Amino acid sequence: MARVSAGELSKLAVLFERHHRALFRYFVSMSRTREMAEDLVQDVFFRMLRYRSSYDPSRPFTAWMYQIARNAGIDQKRGGEVVGIEEYMERHAEPASSSPGPEEHASRGQNLNLLRRALDRLPRDKREILVLSRFQNMKYEQIGEILGCETGTVKVRVYRAMRALEQIYFALEKEKVS
Amino acid sequence: MTCEETKQLFADYWSDGLNGEDEIKLQEHLGACEGCRKEAERLGALWRDLGALPAEQPGPGLRSRFYDSLAAFRSGADDRFSQPSHRSPAKQMVWQIAAGIALLLAGVGAGYGLRPNQSPELSQLREEVANMRQLVALSLLQQQSASERLRGVSYALRAEPNDSEVLGALLDTVKRDSNVNVRLAAVDALHPFASSPATRNGILQALTKQDAPLVQVALIDLLVDLKIKQAEPELRQLLQNAGDAGVRQRAEWALENLQ
Repeated sequence: MARVSAGELSKLAVLFERHHRALFRYFVSMSRTREMAEDLVQDVFFRMLRYRSSYDPSRPFTAWMYQIARNAGIDQKRGGEVVGIEEYMERHAEPASSSPGPEEHASRGQNLNLLRRALDRLPRDKREILVLSRFQNMKYEQIGEILGCETGTVKVRVYRAMRALEQIYFALEKEKVS
Repeated sequence: MTCEETKQLFADYWSDGLNGEDEIKLQEHLGACEGCRKEAERLGALWRDLGALPAEQPGPGLRSRFYDSLAAFRSGADDRFSQPSHRSPAKQMVWQIAAGIALLLAGVGAGYGLRPNQSPELSQLREEVANMRQLVALSLLQQQSASERLRGVSYALRAEPNDSEVLGALLDTVKRDSNVNVRLAAVDALHPFASSPATRNGILQALTKQDAPLVQVALIDLLVDLKIKQAEPELRQLLQNAGDAGVRQRAEWALENLQ
């Protein structure tokens, strides 16, 4: 990114190849719509170009990139869109993995589709911390930097998010049985 | 170690991030406390299942859109947001119209470019091209995808400076678009319409309704560029009430520059 910041715009392609899949997974996990997620990935790379002079090479690039990604997502949600991300997701039932697959019969007899649905129903802040820690495999220190909180706070929030996920998961399981 | 302290280690425990000492303390507690042990097992299994959820992959269109856009960005400011179409038949149709305009322009240039006087046919062709541009811009500005609306802004830049319909659509985009980038691009695209009084009034109205600091700053810059002196009340209001310090500073700067 330091070279992009110095004017070598073509180096943005290297960053794109390295990070666009992870960013896409972040957005699709937060919004559950592929089209919106792709738009937001594109948006992040253009914000990187636009704000390239604000990049501080002494700080981790990934944290900077996810801060941009979070802002892009928040702007999308805040900007008076007729429907918010969650509503959009529910109305435009185009979930990325809507059809049941073999993962339904995974270990512990747990239904991964059910787990996916439980994750989608988590409040945004809890879902985000699980997406960053579990899907993006980020260190808690990095997550703290992105979210602007202490590492210890991140760990506590991960625990709470897992508790909330479990409750929703079991509630969905009950619904399914009854 | 208490149950509360134990639970604070769960996040590290699931992600294999515990140091040796904490690992021993945790195992000791889990061996003695059935409640914590069961919770650690249940949530740990859920944590593993989360890791087993399949990763979504982006479509191939994302890569081509990125490279097209990067090339456009590097080639010049006007087209920096231009991205290729990749979806619905309706959008495809819009782009077919756009391609038609390009061909039409090429034909016009080749056939009449060197002639000193415009023929009525040429004027008619130019008018048709302008109408087509307007149609494409207005259609794209209504699309649900932010990328498509950005393309619409890009087309609006090529509209005639007296095109009140495109101007109206741009001002509406600045005021109401859900995406900050689209709003910013629309602010930039207002420059060619500077001579119209409707532009000046529209900018002032947009400024009072704007909540995104980036767009507020862009609008303030535009007010100064266009030397819109009647903006003083709106700027003073921002100076007093804007939540963002950057916006307040910019408003102060603008007031000095407009005097």
